[in-house]
Amino acid sequence: MMLQYFQRLASVTEARISKYPHQPNARKKFALEIAKLGIRLYSGEHRVAWCGVVAPFDVLSAMNVTSCFVEFVGAMLASTGTVGMFLEESEHAGFAADTCGYHRAVLGAAMKGMMPVPDIMIATTCPCSGGLAAMENLARTFKKELFVLDVPSSDTSESVRYLADQYKNMMRFVSDRIGGSIDEDRLRESIVKSNRARELMIEVYRLAQHVPSPANGQSLANFGIVMALFLGTDAGIEIAQAYKDEYEEMIRNGKSGVPDEKIRLLWLQNRIQFKHPLIRLLEEEYQAAIVIDELNDITWDAIDPDDPFTSIARRTITTPLNGKISQRLDHIQRLSKLYKVDGAVNPCHWGCRQGTGARGLIQAGLKEVGVPVVNLEVDCVDTRNFAEGQLRTRLEAFMEMLRSNPTAHGA
Amino acid sequence: MPQGKIHRVGHACSYTPTALIHAAGFTPYRVLPVGDSPDRAGQLLHDNLCPHAKRILDRAMDEDLPDLDGMVFMNCCDAMRRLSDAWRTVRPKQGVVLVDLPVSPTDTSVSFFAGELTRLAQTLQEWSGQSFTSADISSSIDAMNEMAELLKEISKRARKGTLVGGSSRLQGLFNRGATEPLGQTMELLRSAVGAAERRPTAQNGVPVYLFGNVLPEPEAFAHFESCGVHIAGDSVCTGLRAFNRIGGGNSEDVFWRLARGLLDGPRCPRTFHPSQPGKIAEEVLAEAQACQAKGVIGYTMKFCDPYMSRLPGIRDALREAGLPLLLLDGDCTLRSIGQQRTRIEAFAEMLR
Ligand code: SF4
Ligand code: SF4
Repeated sequence: MMLQYFQRLASVTEARISKYPHQPNARKKFALEIAKLGIRLYSGEHRVAWCGVVAPFDVLSAMNVTSCFVEFVGAMLASTGTVGMFLEESEHAGFAADTCGYHRAVLGAAMKGMMPVPDIMIATTCPCSGGLAAMENLARTFKKELFVLDVPSSDTSESVRYLADQYKNMMRFVSDRIGGSIDEDRLRESIVKSNRARELMIEVYRLAQHVPSPANGQSLANFGIVMALFLGTDAGIEIAQAYKDEYEEMIRNGKSGVPDEKIRLLWLQNRIQFKHPLIRLLEEEYQAAIVIDELNDITWDAIDPDDPFTSIARRTITTPLNGKISQRLDHIQRLSKLYKVDGAVNPCHWGCRQGTGARGLIQAGLKEVGVPVVNLEVDCVDTRNFAEGQLRTRLEAFMEMLRSNPTAHGA
Repeated sequence: MPQGKIHRVGHACSYTPTALIHAAGFTPYRVLPVGDSPDRAGQLLHDNLCPHAKRILDRAMDEDLPDLDGMVFMNCCDAMRRLSDAWRTVRPKQGVVLVDLPVSPTDTSVSFFAGELTRLAQTLQEWSGQSFTSADISSSIDAMNEMAELLKEISKRARKGTLVGGSSRLQGLFNRGATEPLGQTMELLRSAVGAAERRPTAQNGVPVYLFGNVLPEPEAFAHFESCGVHIAGDSVCTGLRAFNRIGGGNSEDVFWRLARGLLDGPRCPRTFHPSQPGKIAEEVLAEAQACQAKGVIGYTMKFCDPYMSRLPGIRDALREAGLPLLLLDGDCTLRSIGQQRTRIEAFAEMLR
């Protein structure tokens, strides 16, 4: 089912891109690469690693392993509208509905035989305890040994060294299981590509800051988090280049992502992964653009090809969702100012202790920089609990409030 | 640090290196999720957080705590990390430290954790204004080990049914060991060990094995017993697991010794061996069988990801071995155990 889904997505998207080659197509190119990744994961022809969210995908790609964080599968199942049966499967097996829907979905998929048995499993302790536990459960299901990357909470030299050493052990773990030795040149090449994608992404984000923004509610949805999967590859560079070209052209032509942009919004952490009408509501009724997602940012320095593991360790440790909440608050306060946002939307994904657990602290932190927040009580994956009417009412009230109290930033 | 007054440093997790806090001249004070402070933590955090973390924050918000010279949090799960964030907001003037706790006891993680403990020792020295040496830490480890041995002996008696006062008295002693100055507790424990044992009274209760996270209320244990079960063995964070004997007396580096001892000790599911995923299920089964339990009670916090995610595996392992399991959702109130009375009684009845 998943393989066919990705194959269909790839052929439909390819056909659209070649039919309208001159129309904006960065998002389509992004979707196409996602479909191709899905095909590689599910075709049975490639070495596959199921991972935690912050695994070093560029390093794994240099080792010729198709790797992906498992939450990606949960998001995909939600976007196809089929997630319900997988959630039910895992709930039947005893996984509480109070845990994160991404993990319940993926565990259900594994139980139903919808996840290819991986060659490698690499868990990460960041961003969440739930993700680590899900990986342990998957490893048990697949009868695989797990490698855990234990991500320390703060950016100290000891922490960086600790994580950098773990990457070296991880590479040995991988090469012991797939055979072959570690090719230093491939690793270097991969790092160069990561750095190139990084530069382009910085440009894309800089362009998205423009007032009015070329970004809208859909164009950069899930961008930053999924782009991590393409680091170290040509695809990563091509996607970022396509966005850069498209946004430059839009700005040159005076076009904005949301016509007549009036309100600029920051979206916190996760998108709602299934089809829903809220983005349309924002754009059509309030000319409100999501100009920035919290996870769409480059928070890391270029990787040093001569000492990649130190830089990659720092990249991981400084991920805004890692460690103390102050790291995350500094980041979203900075984004709020850079993107001149009027308000923030916090989809409080029910099962997320790590993110939703900080709801009150986030609200207070954004208040300090004059950014009001609307908290939406949702499950970003579980369509069964989507209370559309209530959410609509809440968002409308928030938008009315922003409309009547324009901040210095936006409207 | 002014003398003549008890100086306490708070903590909230069984992995806390209490010997280090003790060596720095403080009484380690475990902030237990007890009391009836109003339910306010959800405003700062979210209602979906584990009641253990929320109740502790409720106590801080309600000033229902003795004076603390600082607070040590272990980075053991998302909820604890968020609790440490909220604590800084609620008590901005108090010293707070978050100590990273590795997931598995590999040599690399033990070394890193030893570094974290060294950093903690520096913080404790800043809080106390006094320095302490490796020898001080070693003797605190020895003292804490002695307390652990005494509690282990008392626990054995309670599990056999020969401790006067039974499991609820035992829990009272655990709580005192976790919150009171060591000298006072040791006297109490020595006299408990020196006292005569009573004739076993366990025949009235069906032997069960209890696992879970936090269950600090002594009355909860009396309640279990009144429902017809006898706790013949247990592994909970507020029980013996919090009094882990630190081995490796000959190790040259005392921080390494402490780190190794804590990571190798009895564990809750947030710590595991990646080469044996899901092994906690077999461990629970083995411990239940070792104490000849006829059934198993799991008492775990609602919203505790580390536990909730391992329960299906535990349930499967017990089912395969023919050991019935009763799962109780905890919320750190006695009321909730009271509400589960009928289920516990029915479970005991079924096991007879
Ligand atoms: S939503 Fe939260 S709990 Fe779920 S995978 Fe993301 S960080 Fe983890
Ligand atoms: S009970 Fe669970 S969620 Fe709560 S602090 Fe302990 S391990 Fe963390």
